[in-house]
Amino acid sequence: MHHVVIERWSRGSSVLHSRDARIKLLVTLGYLIALATTPGLTLARAALYAVPIAAGIQLGRLPAGALLARAAVVLPFSATFALFSVIAGDTARAVSLVVKSYLSAAAVLVLVGTTPLPKLLRGMELLGAPRMLTLVVQFLFRYLFVISEHAQHMRLAALCRGSGGARLRFRAAAGAVAVLFARSFGRAEGIHRAMLARGFSGETPALPMVIDAVDVLFLIVGLAAALALRVIPL
Amino acid sequence: MHIPDGFLSTPVWLGLDVVSLPAVGYVARRARRELEETRIPLLGVMGAFVFAAQMINFPVGAGTSGHLVGSALLAITLGPGAAAVVMTAILGIQAFVFQDGGVLALGANVFNMAFAGVLAGYLPYHFWGPRRLAFIAGGALSVLAGAALAIVELLVSGVPVPRPALLVSSGIFAVTALLEGLITAAVLEGIEKLNPGFIRKPEKTRPRALAVVGLTAVLLAAVGVLFASAYPDGLESLAESIGIADRARTLFATPLMDYEAQFFGSPWMQKAAAGLAGLALIYGVCLMIGRYVRRQRRA
Repeated sequence: MHHVVIERWSRGSSVLHSRDARIKLLVTLGYLIALATTPGLTLARAALYAVPIAAGIQLGRLPAGALLARAAVVLPFSATFALFSVIAGDTARAVSLVVKSYLSAAAVLVLVGTTPLPKLLRGMELLGAPRMLTLVVQFLFRYLFVISEHAQHMRLAALCRGSGGARLRFRAAAGAVAVLFARSFGRAEGIHRAMLARGFSGETPALPMVIDAVDVLFLIVGLAAALALRVIPL
Repeated sequence: MHIPDGFLSTPVWLGLDVVSLPAVGYVARRARRELEETRIPLLGVMGAFVFAAQMINFPVGAGTSGHLVGSALLAITLGPGAAAVVMTAILGIQAFVFQDGGVLALGANVFNMAFAGVLAGYLPYHFWGPRRLAFIAGGALSVLAGAALAIVELLVSGVPVPRPALLVSSGIFAVTALLEGLITAAVLEGIEKLNPGFIRKPEKTRPRALAVVGLTAVLLAAVGVLFASAYPDGLESLAESIGIADRARTLFATPLMDYEAQFFGSPWMQKAAAGLAGLALIYGVCLMIGRYVRRQRRA
Protein backbone atom coordinates (compact mmCIF):
# COMPACT_ATOMS: atom_id res chain seq x y z
CA MET A 1 0.00 0.00 0.00
CA HIS A 2 0.96 3.62 -0.55
CA HIS A 3 1.68 4.67 3.01
CA VAL A 4 4.30 1.97 3.57
CA VAL A 5 6.33 3.45 0.73
CA ILE A 6 6.50 6.88 2.29
CA GLU A 7 7.34 5.41 5.70
CA ARG A 8 10.24 3.50 4.14
CA TRP A 9 11.55 6.70 2.52
CA SER A 10 11.37 8.54 5.83
CA ARG A 11 13.52 5.89 7.55
CA GLY A 12 16.43 6.46 5.16
CA SER A 13 19.56 8.40 6.00
CA SER A 14 20.81 11.55 4.33
CA VAL A 15 21.73 15.13 5.12
CA LEU A 16 18.07 16.00 4.92
CA HIS A 17 16.92 13.06 7.06
CA SER A 18 19.20 14.11 9.91
CA ARG A 19 17.95 17.72 10.03
CA ASP A 20 15.73 18.68 12.98
CA ALA A 21 12.01 18.21 12.24
CA ARG A 22 11.18 21.77 13.40
CA ILE A 23 13.69 23.24 10.98
CA LYS A 24 12.34 21.19 8.07
CA LEU A 25 8.77 22.17 8.96
CA LEU A 26 9.66 25.87 9.06
CA VAL A 27 11.57 25.77 5.77
CA THR A 28 8.72 23.86 4.08
CA LEU A 29 6.20 26.38 5.41
CA GLY A 30 8.38 29.23 4.15
CA TYR A 31 8.47 27.65 0.70
CA LEU A 32 4.71 26.99 0.67
CA ILE A 33 3.89 30.54 1.77
CA ALA A 34 6.23 32.07 -0.82
CA LEU A 35 4.66 29.90 -3.53
CA ALA A 36 1.07 30.56 -2.41
CA THR A 37 1.49 34.34 -2.23
CA THR A 38 3.23 34.69 -5.61
CA PRO A 39 0.83 36.67 -7.80
CA GLY A 40 0.52 35.77 -11.49
CA LEU A 41 2.89 32.80 -11.47
CA THR A 42 4.74 32.61 -14.81
CA LEU A 43 6.29 29.42 -16.19
CA ALA A 44 9.76 30.93 -15.74
CA ARG A 45 9.16 31.51 -12.04
CA ALA A 46 7.53 28.07 -11.75
CA ALA A 47 10.79 26.58 -13.07
CA LEU A 48 12.65 28.50 -10.35
CA TYR A 49 10.27 27.13 -7.72
CA ALA A 50 10.98 23.60 -8.95
CA VAL A 51 14.68 23.97 -8.11
CA PRO A 52 14.29 23.51 -4.30
CA ILE A 53 12.14 20.40 -4.91
CA ALA A 54 14.88 18.92 -7.10
CA ALA A 55 17.48 19.88 -4.48
CA GLY A 56 15.36 18.28 -1.75
CA ILE A 57 15.01 15.04 -3.73
CA GLN A 58 18.75 15.00 -4.37
CA LEU A 59 19.79 15.85 -0.78
CA GLY A 60 17.23 13.45 0.70
CA ARG A 61 18.18 10.66 -1.74
CA LEU A 62 14.52 10.22 -2.54
CA PRO A 63 13.31 8.30 -5.62
CA ALA A 64 12.52 11.21 -7.95
CA GLY A 65 10.13 9.40 -10.28
CA ALA A 66 8.06 7.84 -7.52
CA LEU A 67 7.85 11.11 -5.58
CA LEU A 68 6.82 13.17 -8.60
CA ALA A 69 4.23 10.52 -9.51
CA ARG A 70 2.80 10.58 -5.98
CA ALA A 71 2.52 14.37 -6.05
CA ALA A 72 0.37 13.97 -9.17
CA VAL A 73 -2.60 12.88 -7.01
CA VAL A 74 -3.56 16.57 -6.82
CA LEU A 75 -3.74 16.89 -10.60
CA PRO A 76 -7.30 15.62 -11.26
CA PHE A 77 -8.69 18.24 -8.88
CA SER A 78 -6.43 21.03 -10.20
CA ALA A 79 -6.98 20.08 -13.82
CA THR A 80 -10.76 20.37 -13.41
CA PHE A 81 -10.50 23.91 -12.09
CA ALA A 82 -7.77 24.77 -14.59
CA LEU A 83 -10.19 23.75 -17.32
CA PHE A 84 -12.82 26.09 -15.83
CA SER A 85 -10.23 28.89 -15.85
CA VAL A 86 -9.38 28.25 -19.49
CA ILE A 87 -13.09 28.33 -20.36
CA ALA A 88 -13.37 31.62 -18.46
CA GLY A 89 -10.48 32.89 -20.63
CA ASP A 90 -7.96 33.04 -17.82
CA THR A 91 -5.06 30.81 -18.91
CA ALA A 92 -2.65 32.47 -16.47
CA ARG A 93 -4.77 31.29 -13.55
CA ALA A 94 -5.05 27.80 -15.02
CA VAL A 95 -1.25 27.52 -15.13
CA SER A 96 -0.95 28.95 -11.64
CA LEU A 97 -3.52 26.53 -10.13
CA VAL A 98 -1.86 23.42 -11.60
CA VAL A 99 1.73 24.48 -10.87
CA LYS A 100 1.07 25.75 -7.34
CA SER A 101 -0.91 22.72 -6.21
CA TYR A 102 1.56 20.27 -7.77
CA LEU A 103 4.70 21.93 -6.39
CA SER A 104 3.09 22.30 -2.94
CA ALA A 105 2.29 18.59 -2.85
CA ALA A 106 5.84 17.74 -3.98
CA ALA A 107 7.32 19.98 -1.26
CA VAL A 108 5.23 18.29 1.44
CA LEU A 109 6.33 14.90 0.08
CA VAL A 110 9.99 15.91 0.40
CA LEU A 111 9.24 16.86 4.03
CA VAL A 112 7.39 13.65 4.99
CA GLY A 113 9.72 11.53 2.84
CA THR A 114 12.69 12.62 4.96
CA THR A 115 11.01 12.85 8.38
CA PRO A 116 9.46 9.86 10.20
CA LEU A 117 5.97 10.72 11.45
CA PRO A 118 6.82 10.53 15.21
CA LYS A 119 9.60 13.08 14.69
CA LEU A 120 7.39 15.29 12.53
CA LEU A 121 4.66 15.26 15.18
CA ARG A 122 7.16 15.97 17.96
CA GLY A 123 8.41 18.91 15.92
CA MET A 124 4.85 20.21 15.57
CA GLU A 125 4.35 19.84 19.32
CA LEU A 126 7.49 21.87 20.04
CA LEU A 127 6.16 24.51 17.63
CA GLY A 128 2.91 24.71 19.61
CA ALA A 129 0.55 21.97 18.37
CA PRO A 130 -1.55 20.56 21.25
CA ARG A 131 -0.14 17.29 22.62
CA MET A 132 -3.53 15.64 22.71
CA LEU A 133 -3.95 16.14 18.96
CA THR A 134 -0.51 14.77 18.12
CA LEU A 135 -1.18 11.75 20.37
CA VAL A 136 -4.44 11.09 18.55
CA VAL A 137 -2.63 11.33 15.20
CA GLN A 138 0.01 8.84 16.44
CA PHE A 139 -2.65 6.33 17.44
CA LEU A 140 -4.53 6.93 14.21
CA PHE A 141 -1.48 6.25 12.08
CA ARG A 142 -0.47 3.23 14.18
CA TYR A 143 -3.85 1.51 13.83
CA LEU A 144 -4.66 2.74 10.32
CA PHE A 145 -3.09 -0.33 8.73
CA VAL A 146 -4.45 -2.80 11.28
CA ILE A 147 -8.03 -1.65 10.86
CA SER A 148 -7.73 -1.09 7.10
CA GLU A 149 -6.66 -4.69 6.71
CA HIS A 150 -9.65 -5.76 8.74
CA ALA A 151 -11.90 -3.71 6.46
CA GLN A 152 -10.29 -5.30 3.38
CA HIS A 153 -11.04 -8.77 4.75
CA MET A 154 -14.65 -7.82 5.40
CA ARG A 155 -14.96 -6.38 1.90
CA LEU A 156 -13.57 -9.53 0.37
CA ALA A 157 -15.88 -11.69 2.49
CA ALA A 158 -18.89 -9.63 1.41
CA LEU A 159 -17.85 -10.00 -2.26
CA CYS A 160 -17.51 -13.78 -1.81
CA ARG A 161 -20.94 -14.05 -0.25
CA GLY A 162 -22.17 -12.73 -3.53
CA SER A 163 -24.83 -10.65 -5.04
CA GLY A 164 -28.38 -9.70 -4.24
CA GLY A 165 -30.09 -6.45 -5.14
CA ALA A 166 -28.60 -3.04 -4.48
CA ARG A 167 -30.84 -2.66 -1.44
CA LEU A 168 -29.57 -5.88 0.08
CA ARG A 169 -25.94 -5.01 -0.63
CA PHE A 170 -26.45 -1.55 0.88
CA ARG A 171 -27.72 -3.14 4.10
CA ALA A 172 -24.85 -5.62 4.09
CA ALA A 173 -22.32 -2.78 3.71
CA ALA A 174 -23.98 -0.85 6.56
CA GLY A 175 -23.80 -3.97 8.71
CA ALA A 176 -20.12 -4.40 7.87
CA VAL A 177 -19.33 -0.80 8.84
CA ALA A 178 -21.29 -1.22 12.08
CA VAL A 179 -19.33 -4.39 12.93
CA LEU A 180 -16.09 -2.59 12.07
CA PHE A 181 -17.12 0.26 14.38
CA ALA A 182 -17.91 -2.08 17.28
CA ARG A 183 -14.68 -4.03 16.82
CA SER A 184 -12.59 -0.84 16.59
CA PHE A 185 -14.26 0.45 19.74
CA GLY A 186 -13.57 -2.81 21.57
CA ARG A 187 -10.02 -2.87 20.26
CA ALA A 188 -9.41 0.66 21.56
CA GLU A 189 -10.48 -0.39 25.05
CA GLY A 190 -8.22 -3.42 24.88
CA ILE A 191 -5.32 -1.27 23.71
CA HIS A 192 -5.85 1.12 26.57
CA ARG A 193 -5.91 -1.67 29.16
CA ALA A 194 -2.76 -3.18 27.70
CA MET A 195 -1.05 0.21 27.84
CA LEU A 196 -2.09 0.72 31.47
CA ALA A 197 -0.71 -2.72 32.32
CA ARG A 198 2.62 -1.62 30.83
CA GLY A 199 2.71 1.52 32.94
CA PHE A 200 1.09 4.14 30.66
CA SER A 201 0.27 7.25 32.68
CA GLY A 202 -1.38 9.44 30.06
CA GLU A 203 1.91 10.53 28.49
CA THR A 204 4.18 8.86 25.99
CA PRO A 205 7.90 9.54 26.38
CA ALA A 206 8.90 12.58 24.31
CA LEU A 207 11.53 12.18 21.63
CA PRO A 208 14.61 14.25 22.41
CA MET A 209 15.34 16.86 19.76
CA VAL A 210 18.41 19.02 19.38
CA ILE A 211 19.10 21.80 16.91
CA ASP A 212 22.74 21.93 15.80
CA ALA A 213 24.75 24.45 13.79
CA VAL A 214 23.97 22.74 10.46
CA ASP A 215 20.25 23.02 11.29
CA VAL A 216 20.57 26.76 11.88
CA LEU A 217 22.45 27.16 8.61
CA PHE A 218 19.82 25.09 6.79
CA LEU A 219 17.05 27.24 8.25
CA ILE A 220 18.71 30.48 7.18
CA VAL A 221 19.54 29.24 3.68
CA GLY A 222 16.09 27.65 3.25
CA LEU A 223 14.12 30.73 4.26
CA ALA A 224 16.41 33.05 2.30
CA ALA A 225 15.90 30.86 -0.77
CA ALA A 226 12.11 30.95 -0.33
CA LEU A 227 12.18 34.74 -0.03
CA ALA A 228 14.47 35.03 -3.06
CA LEU A 229 12.17 32.86 -5.19
CA ARG A 230 9.28 35.12 -4.21
CA VAL A 231 10.91 38.50 -4.94
CA ILE A 232 13.54 37.96 -7.68
CA PRO A 233 12.35 40.00 -10.67
CA LEU A 234 12.03 38.00 -13.87
CA MET B 1 -13.71 17.75 -1.00
CA HIS B 2 -10.24 18.69 0.22
CA ILE B 3 -8.86 21.99 -1.05
CA PRO B 4 -5.20 21.72 -2.14
CA ASP B 5 -2.67 24.51 -1.77
CA GLY B 6 -2.55 27.12 -4.50
CA PHE B 7 -6.32 27.53 -4.79
CA LEU B 8 -7.26 29.91 -2.00
CA SER B 9 -6.26 33.57 -2.00
CA THR B 10 -4.01 34.67 0.83
CA PRO B 11 -6.71 36.42 2.91
CA VAL B 12 -8.87 33.29 2.77
CA TRP B 13 -6.33 30.61 3.73
CA LEU B 14 -4.57 32.85 6.21
CA GLY B 15 -7.84 33.97 7.81
CA LEU B 16 -9.13 30.40 8.14
CA ASP B 17 -5.77 29.15 9.50
CA VAL B 18 -5.82 31.94 12.06
CA VAL B 19 -9.37 30.99 13.08
CA SER B 20 -9.20 27.19 12.90
CA LEU B 21 -5.82 26.24 14.30
CA PRO B 22 -6.19 27.99 17.70
CA ALA B 23 -9.77 26.70 17.82
CA VAL B 24 -8.48 23.14 17.38
CA GLY B 25 -6.08 23.74 20.26
CA TYR B 26 -8.91 24.99 22.43
CA VAL B 27 -11.21 22.07 21.59
CA ALA B 28 -8.36 19.56 22.13
CA ARG B 29 -7.50 20.98 25.55
CA ARG B 30 -11.16 21.06 26.58
CA ALA B 31 -11.80 17.56 25.29
CA ARG B 32 -8.76 16.31 27.20
CA ARG B 33 -9.98 17.89 30.44
CA GLU B 34 -13.49 16.56 30.02
CA LEU B 35 -12.82 13.02 28.83
CA GLU B 36 -11.18 10.27 30.76
CA GLU B 37 -7.76 9.43 29.39
CA THR B 38 -9.11 6.15 27.94
CA ARG B 39 -10.41 8.39 25.23
CA ILE B 40 -7.04 9.25 23.67
CA PRO B 41 -6.35 5.76 22.24
CA LEU B 42 -10.07 5.55 21.45
CA LEU B 43 -10.03 8.77 19.41
CA GLY B 44 -7.02 7.59 17.42
CA VAL B 45 -8.49 4.17 16.74
CA MET B 46 -11.82 5.68 15.70
CA GLY B 47 -9.97 7.94 13.28
CA ALA B 48 -8.37 4.84 11.79
CA PHE B 49 -11.86 3.29 11.67
CA VAL B 50 -13.17 6.17 9.54
CA PHE B 51 -10.27 5.73 7.09
CA ALA B 52 -10.90 1.98 6.91
CA ALA B 53 -14.68 2.30 6.65
CA GLN B 54 -14.19 4.36 3.50
CA MET B 55 -12.97 1.19 1.77
CA ILE B 56 -16.36 -0.41 2.11
CA ASN B 57 -18.51 0.49 -0.89
CA PHE B 58 -22.18 1.27 -0.73
CA PRO B 59 -24.06 0.57 -3.97
CA VAL B 60 -25.98 3.64 -5.12
CA GLY B 61 -27.50 2.11 -8.22
CA ALA B 62 -26.64 2.60 -11.88
CA GLY B 63 -23.37 0.79 -11.26
CA THR B 64 -21.87 3.50 -9.07
CA SER B 65 -21.07 3.35 -5.40
CA GLY B 66 -20.29 5.74 -2.60
CA HIS B 67 -18.69 5.52 0.81
CA LEU B 68 -19.01 6.92 4.30
CA VAL B 69 -17.56 10.38 5.02
CA GLY B 70 -18.00 9.94 8.73
CA SER B 71 -18.13 13.32 10.47
CA ALA B 72 -21.79 12.96 11.51
CA LEU B 73 -21.23 9.36 12.65
CA LEU B 74 -18.29 10.46 14.82
CA ALA B 75 -20.16 13.47 16.20
CA ILE B 76 -23.09 11.30 17.28
CA THR B 77 -21.05 8.44 18.76
CA LEU B 78 -18.15 10.37 20.37
CA GLY B 79 -19.66 13.82 20.94
CA PRO B 80 -18.92 16.94 18.89
CA GLY B 81 -15.72 18.02 20.70
CA ALA B 82 -14.01 14.64 20.39
CA ALA B 83 -15.30 14.26 16.80
CA ALA B 84 -13.74 17.61 15.85
CA VAL B 85 -10.38 16.43 17.23
CA VAL B 86 -10.60 13.11 15.35
CA MET B 87 -11.60 14.82 12.09
CA THR B 88 -8.69 17.26 12.47
CA ALA B 89 -6.32 14.33 12.97
CA ILE B 90 -7.73 12.64 9.85
CA LEU B 91 -7.39 15.82 7.78
CA GLY B 92 -3.83 16.29 9.05
CA ILE B 93 -2.83 12.75 8.00
CA GLN B 94 -4.54 13.24 4.64
CA ALA B 95 -2.72 16.53 4.01
CA PHE B 96 0.75 15.39 5.07
CA VAL B 97 0.83 11.69 4.18
CA PHE B 98 -1.65 11.34 1.32
CA GLN B 99 -1.42 14.81 -0.34
CA ASP B 100 -5.19 15.02 -0.06
CA GLY B 101 -5.69 18.70 0.78
CA GLY B 102 -3.01 21.36 1.19
CA VAL B 103 -0.96 22.19 4.26
CA LEU B 104 -1.64 25.93 4.12
CA ALA B 105 -5.26 25.09 3.27
CA LEU B 106 -5.48 22.82 6.33
CA GLY B 107 -7.18 25.59 8.32
CA ALA B 108 -9.84 25.91 5.63
CA ASN B 109 -10.37 22.15 5.39
CA VAL B 110 -10.51 21.81 9.19
CA PHE B 111 -13.01 24.65 9.34
CA ASN B 112 -15.22 23.10 6.62
CA MET B 113 -15.17 19.48 7.76
CA ALA B 114 -13.97 19.24 11.36
CA PHE B 115 -15.96 22.22 12.66
CA ALA B 116 -18.84 23.06 10.34
CA GLY B 117 -19.28 19.43 9.20
CA VAL B 118 -19.23 17.99 12.71
CA LEU B 119 -21.49 20.69 14.12
CA ALA B 120 -23.98 20.39 11.26
CA GLY B 121 -23.92 16.61 11.67
CA TYR B 122 -24.49 16.84 15.41
CA LEU B 123 -27.21 19.49 15.69
CA PRO B 124 -30.19 17.45 14.37
CA TYR B 125 -29.32 14.64 16.77
CA HIS B 126 -28.89 17.15 19.58
CA PHE B 127 -32.37 18.56 19.08
CA TRP B 128 -34.31 15.51 17.89
CA GLY B 129 -32.58 12.78 19.85
CA PRO B 130 -31.64 9.36 18.47
CA ARG B 131 -34.08 8.76 15.65
CA ARG B 132 -33.61 7.82 12.03
CA LEU B 133 -34.60 11.20 10.60
CA ALA B 134 -32.07 13.00 12.81
CA PHE B 135 -29.29 10.62 11.66
CA ILE B 136 -30.19 11.13 7.99
CA ALA B 137 -30.43 14.91 8.41
CA GLY B 138 -27.13 14.98 10.32
CA GLY B 139 -25.25 13.00 7.69
CA ALA B 140 -26.71 15.05 4.85
CA LEU B 141 -26.14 18.42 6.54
CA SER B 142 -22.54 17.57 7.44
CA VAL B 143 -21.69 16.93 3.78
CA LEU B 144 -23.67 19.94 2.54
CA ALA B 145 -22.09 22.32 5.06
CA GLY B 146 -18.55 21.19 4.19
CA ALA B 147 -19.10 21.27 0.43
CA ALA B 148 -20.93 24.62 0.43
CA LEU B 149 -18.20 26.24 2.50
CA ALA B 150 -15.48 24.85 0.23
CA ILE B 151 -17.26 26.19 -2.86
CA VAL B 152 -17.76 29.60 -1.25
CA GLU B 153 -14.09 29.74 -0.26
CA LEU B 154 -13.01 28.89 -3.80
CA LEU B 155 -15.36 31.49 -5.31
CA VAL B 156 -14.25 34.14 -2.81
CA SER B 157 -10.65 33.33 -3.76
CA GLY B 158 -11.56 34.12 -7.36
CA VAL B 159 -11.30 30.58 -8.76
CA PRO B 160 -13.67 30.71 -11.71
CA VAL B 161 -16.42 28.10 -11.62
CA PRO B 162 -18.78 28.33 -14.64
CA ARG B 163 -22.45 28.30 -13.75
CA PRO B 164 -23.17 24.92 -15.42
CA ALA B 165 -20.34 23.34 -13.43
CA LEU B 166 -21.72 24.94 -10.28
CA LEU B 167 -25.14 23.44 -11.01
CA VAL B 168 -23.74 20.00 -11.78
CA SER B 169 -21.59 19.96 -8.66
CA SER B 170 -24.54 21.13 -6.55
CA GLY B 171 -26.46 18.16 -7.87
CA ILE B 172 -23.60 15.80 -7.07
CA PHE B 173 -23.31 17.26 -3.57
CA ALA B 174 -27.04 16.81 -3.00
CA VAL B 175 -26.83 13.12 -3.98
CA THR B 176 -23.67 12.60 -1.89
CA ALA B 177 -25.34 14.31 1.05
CA LEU B 178 -28.44 12.14 0.85
CA LEU B 179 -26.27 9.03 0.55
CA GLU B 180 -24.19 10.07 3.57
CA GLY B 181 -27.41 10.54 5.52
CA LEU B 182 -28.69 7.10 4.58
CA ILE B 183 -25.33 5.42 5.32
CA THR B 184 -25.00 7.22 8.67
CA ALA B 185 -28.50 6.14 9.70
CA ALA B 186 -28.01 2.54 8.55
CA VAL B 187 -24.65 2.22 10.32
CA LEU B 188 -25.95 3.78 13.54
CA GLU B 189 -28.90 1.40 13.52
CA GLY B 190 -26.49 -1.47 12.95
CA ILE B 191 -24.38 -0.33 15.92
CA GLU B 192 -27.50 -0.11 18.05
CA LYS B 193 -28.40 -3.67 17.05
CA LEU B 194 -24.94 -4.94 18.03
CA ASN B 195 -24.72 -2.99 21.28
CA PRO B 196 -28.20 -2.05 22.47
CA GLY B 197 -28.13 1.19 24.45
CA PHE B 198 -24.83 2.33 22.92
CA ILE B 199 -26.40 5.39 21.32
CA ARG B 200 -27.91 7.34 24.14
CA LYS B 201 -29.89 10.52 24.07
CA PRO B 202 -27.64 13.54 23.81
CA GLU B 203 -27.01 15.25 27.12
CA LYS B 204 -29.34 18.16 27.44
CA THR B 205 -27.34 19.90 30.14
CA ARG B 206 -25.76 22.63 28.06
CA PRO B 207 -27.69 23.29 24.88
CA ARG B 208 -26.96 26.97 25.34
CA ALA B 209 -23.22 26.35 25.54
CA LEU B 210 -23.34 24.49 22.23
CA ALA B 211 -25.31 27.30 20.60
CA VAL B 212 -22.80 29.82 21.95
CA VAL B 213 -19.89 27.79 20.59
CA GLY B 214 -21.60 27.52 17.20
CA LEU B 215 -22.38 31.22 17.05
CA THR B 216 -18.89 32.16 18.17
CA ALA B 217 -17.43 30.00 15.42
CA VAL B 218 -19.59 31.75 12.83
CA LEU B 219 -18.79 35.21 14.21
CA LEU B 220 -15.07 34.48 14.40
CA ALA B 221 -15.10 33.18 10.86
CA ALA B 222 -17.06 36.18 9.62
CA VAL B 223 -14.79 38.62 11.42
CA GLY B 224 -11.77 36.69 10.14
CA VAL B 225 -12.97 36.88 6.55
CA LEU B 226 -13.87 40.57 6.91
CA PHE B 227 -10.65 41.44 8.63
CA ALA B 228 -8.47 39.48 6.26
CA SER B 229 -10.18 41.02 3.25
CA ALA B 230 -10.05 44.51 4.70
CA TYR B 231 -6.36 44.34 5.50
CA PRO B 232 -4.64 42.22 2.87
CA ASP B 233 -1.28 41.07 4.13
CA GLY B 234 1.88 43.07 3.74
CA LEU B 235 2.95 41.36 0.54
CA GLU B 236 -0.26 42.29 -1.20
CA SER B 237 -0.16 45.90 -0.10
CA LEU B 238 3.40 45.97 -1.40
CA ALA B 239 2.14 44.67 -4.72
CA GLU B 240 -0.58 47.30 -4.61
CA SER B 241 1.95 50.08 -4.29
CA ILE B 242 3.89 48.77 -7.29
CA GLY B 243 0.71 48.57 -9.31
CA ILE B 244 0.16 44.83 -9.69
CA ALA B 245 -3.02 45.16 -7.69
CA ASP B 246 -5.10 46.40 -10.60
CA ARG B 247 -4.22 43.34 -12.58
CA ALA B 248 -4.84 41.09 -9.59
CA ARG B 249 -8.20 42.67 -8.94
CA THR B 250 -9.58 41.61 -12.28
CA LEU B 251 -8.50 38.09 -11.36
CA PHE B 252 -10.77 38.35 -8.34
CA ALA B 253 -13.89 38.86 -10.44
CA THR B 254 -16.04 35.82 -9.72
CA PRO B 255 -19.24 34.55 -11.25
CA LEU B 256 -20.87 34.99 -7.86
CA MET B 257 -20.23 38.70 -8.01
CA ASP B 258 -22.39 39.25 -11.06
CA TYR B 259 -25.56 38.79 -9.14
CA GLU B 260 -24.17 39.80 -5.82
CA ALA B 261 -25.36 42.68 -3.67
CA GLN B 262 -24.40 45.76 -5.65
CA PHE B 263 -24.65 48.17 -2.74
CA PHE B 264 -21.33 47.02 -1.35
CA GLY B 265 -18.88 49.28 -3.14
CA SER B 266 -15.40 47.87 -2.77
CA PRO B 267 -14.29 44.46 -4.03
CA TRP B 268 -13.22 43.24 -0.58
CA MET B 269 -16.68 44.01 0.75
CA GLN B 270 -18.14 41.87 -2.00
CA LYS B 271 -15.79 39.04 -1.20
CA ALA B 272 -16.54 39.25 2.48
CA ALA B 273 -20.27 39.48 1.83
CA ALA B 274 -20.23 36.38 -0.34
CA GLY B 275 -18.34 34.47 2.32
CA LEU B 276 -20.62 35.69 5.07
CA ALA B 277 -23.75 34.88 3.11
CA GLY B 278 -22.59 31.29 2.61
CA LEU B 279 -21.75 30.84 6.26
CA ALA B 280 -24.90 32.50 7.49
CA LEU B 281 -27.07 30.43 5.20
CA ILE B 282 -25.76 27.09 6.42
CA TYR B 283 -25.80 27.91 10.09
CA GLY B 284 -29.13 29.63 9.77
CA VAL B 285 -30.69 26.51 8.29
CA CYS B 286 -29.21 24.29 11.00
CA LEU B 287 -30.26 26.57 13.83
CA MET B 288 -33.75 27.14 12.48
CA ILE B 289 -34.47 23.45 12.05
CA GLY B 290 -33.28 22.88 15.58
CA ARG B 291 -35.30 25.70 17.07
CA TYR B 292 -38.44 24.68 15.20
CA VAL B 293 -38.21 21.13 16.46
CA ARG B 294 -37.55 22.23 20.02
CA ARG B 295 -40.62 24.48 19.98
CA GLN B 296 -42.72 21.63 18.60
CA ARG B 297 -41.60 19.43 21.43
CA ARG B 298 -42.37 21.97 24.11
CA ALA B 299 -45.86 22.55 22.76
